[in-house]
Amino acid sequence: MLFNSLTFIVFFVVVVGAYWALRSWETRKNLLLVASYIFYGAWNPPFALLLFGTTALDFYLGSRIASAVTPRARRGWMIASVTSNLSMLGFFKYGNFLLENFQWLLARAGVAYQPPHLDIFLPIGISFYTFHSLSYTLDVYRGVCAPTKSLRDFTLAVSFFPQLVAGPIVRAADFLPQLVTAPKLRPGQFGWGLLLMTLGMFEKIVLADALLADSADAVFGYGGPLPALDAWGGTLAFAGQIFFDFAGYSTCAIGAALCLGFHLKDNFRFPYAAVGFSDFWRRWHISLSTFLRDFLYIPLGGNRSGPARAAVNLMIVMFIGGLWHGAAWTFVVWGLIHGVFLVIERLVKGAAGEAPWTQTFAIKFLIGLGTFAVVCLAWVFFRAADFATAARLVKAMVGAGAPSDALLTTRELLQVGSVTAGLLLAHWSLRDTSIEAVVGKMPRWLVVALWTLMLSAIILTQGNGHAFIYFQF
Amino acid sequence: MPSSTSSFESFERVIPDLPWRRLALIVTALTFLAAVGWEIRCRAWGYAPTLNDTPDLWAQQRRAVRPDSIVIVGDSRAHFDLDLDELEKGLGSRPIQLALDGSCPYPVFADLVNDESFHGTVIASLVPGMWLAPGGPLLKNSERALERYHKQTWAQRSGHVLGMLLEEHIAFLKKDDLTLPKLLGRIPLPPRDHTEGPPLPPYFGSVDRERRTRMIDACAQPGPLQDRIKNGWPLLFTPPPPPSYIPREAFLKGMGAAIEKRFQDTAAAVKKLRARGGKVVFVRFPFTGKVRELEDAGTPRAGPWTRIINESGAPSIYFTDYPELANFQCPESSHLSAPDSVEFTRRLVPHLKAALAQ
Repeated sequence: MLFNSLTFIVFFVVVVGAYWALRSWETRKNLLLVASYIFYGAWNPPFALLLFGTTALDFYLGSRIASAVTPRARRGWMIASVTSNLSMLGFFKYGNFLLENFQWLLARAGVAYQPPHLDIFLPIGISFYTFHSLSYTLDVYRGVCAPTKSLRDFTLAVSFFPQLVAGPIVRAADFLPQLVTAPKLRPGQFGWGLLLMTLGMFEKIVLADALLADSADAVFGYGGPLPALDAWGGTLAFAGQIFFDFAGYSTCAIGAALCLGFHLKDNFRFPYAAVGFSDFWRRWHISLSTFLRDFLYIPLGGNRSGPARAAVNLMIVMFIGGLWHGAAWTFVVWGLIHGVFLVIERLVKGAAGEAPWTQTFAIKFLIGLGTFAVVCLAWVFFRAADFATAARLVKAMVGAGAPSDALLTTRELLQVGSVTAGLLLAHWSLRDTSIEAVVGKMPRWLVVALWTLMLSAIILTQGNGHAFIYFQF
Repeated sequence: MPSSTSSFESFERVIPDLPWRRLALIVTALTFLAAVGWEIRCRAWGYAPTLNDTPDLWAQQRRAVRPDSIVIVGDSRAHFDLDLDELEKGLGSRPIQLALDGSCPYPVFADLVNDESFHGTVIASLVPGMWLAPGGPLLKNSERALERYHKQTWAQRSGHVLGMLLEEHIAFLKKDDLTLPKLLGRIPLPPRDHTEGPPLPPYFGSVDRERRTRMIDACAQPGPLQDRIKNGWPLLFTPPPPPSYIPREAFLKGMGAAIEKRFQDTAAAVKKLRARGGKVVFVRFPFTGKVRELEDAGTPRAGPWTRIINESGAPSIYFTDYPELANFQCPESSHLSAPDSVEFTRRLVPHLKAALAQ
């Protein structure tokens, strides 16, 4: 079920109404669990069984980890959880990718092998709920989280519908405590939740889908060379689209959870105003970057074994991070570009330190623009269907493309230009504050005007049922 | 191990200190008023409530196909020009309307043929330039509808049902005409070379739940809407130039090969369906004025039409062969008005019956 659909509006009204009408906390949790499985099953009912299977297995393994007497046994059960989760992810998401690469390797060795094409249907949101579930066993293993005795509560923590299919990646350790006692709705919580949902829908329906998606699709789907203006237009369109699409989903999720009395952390913090790549990853898909930091980078040794080892660890993390997004080498290259710039940034910071002149706004702004430009360049690999398309676009962006006809219309370029300018302006204005702080200081008439404007624009746009980009991950 | 968990216990989102209930009520009232104002404006422009002809609506009709159904496939002419009531009266069974505006009908036809359970009757509108389209938006329109039919989720189905309830009462819900991007597209801007495609026709037909489409009066009568649509067809019926990055000869060779394959696939598909008891009749619906000049020059009857009929062996009805069908006038050169579509269908039925009896 998509947030940006009439079905969801009706679903949400019914669930929220019933949820707050019920008195018993246990009954309300049961309602949320059923609603979450309906939300997920509305795509493809059989995959709800897979979701439950993953959850039940991790519930069992979590209890085994907690009850294991020896460290070796604890470690064994933890590895069993990691292996089972990653195997399932590997089968559904990477099965054909692995086979194709295996075939390529054999061909290099002179062995002609034609693997069968596995007709695998990717369960929606599998990368997200696998990480939701896996975080539980890993946190139980690390001693950060006590094992829950309630399969129902754990199942709800993994499947809670606002964050189920496209994040944020909410860790069981962060969510389970909220299931202990019934939440109390604080004054304004429901209204603020609704405003956040409106903002998220506006980002998705109006900005991402209506104003940017067509330009990005046209440029990345074009088979020939492009002028630099069009290549940049398409790339900036995608940079805006993926932000508004994904941040819009997260904002909706946070708002929907608030309406139900739950608190989810921010997943984005104005990332296009990041000054450097480490800053970018503190602002972009925060729940994934902290997941990878806690469960991969730190266990690999983090930066405890010297700069060289830290650089290798960073590259491994970004390699995995790239691959998490999709079963293609283009995603890996996207991750590695970020990895390389993270390493370079560390080296530069290590050499130059935090010199006072680097702290002026002008320098920060220049570094920020440079960061944004490289982030956009990396998006080319993320969005392109293959390396040929990516290479053609990068060539065009640096002015080395073949002579070619224009592709984007004047209107499309104006849309992309104005939305990108507004996006950068908003991120730079808000980079050191929060949306709550800004809204809290706004005159009431302005809140009403902006809220009305967003709702009216959503109605005017009418939506087109575009799925969220991150559903495919 | 801690008995309870994480830093989250202390995490609570900040709620800005504002009178949210009052603000929400004001916003709801203002948004409602804005929507009512927009609805009044759109109705004043001539828009009326009607369904959007979406892939969801198409998929709903496609699901209604039974093994022995009579199914209409084709382009907008089959969509506008056929009346389901008259066909039901004449053929004894209510047909299912699967024609798609601005589409190449072949993928829909092939999908029916590949459905081994189907052995019914296909009434196919054959506009050679569209049937043989080797790629581009004409093909994509059909493929999009088919994809929705094959992959439609329960959530999409329920969203479609809810959407119809609104579209039947609200005039501004016109996905092809009144969405924000379409409205922005109306702002005159200096064009960049090679980037502006021909404009698609604006709203000029109403659609019901069976996908029966009727031309609205504002288009059937002489006036600015009729002129706008009539003047738009020549641009749409002119093939776009080949992309500049592919040598012209190579491009034309590729197109030629794809069209040749479509001829062969069509003949094979017709034979496959007929072999298991199904029936197919190709129909050329009326077209007049400038559109007729263009189509007759680009795809003369003796060309692709005749080849498809000959190679497939399927019966056919060409409207100019029958005086009672030949003299209908298309108000905007390409489709019949709603009253004419009823009369045309009534006159077409005997010919369909004769063709299907072959």
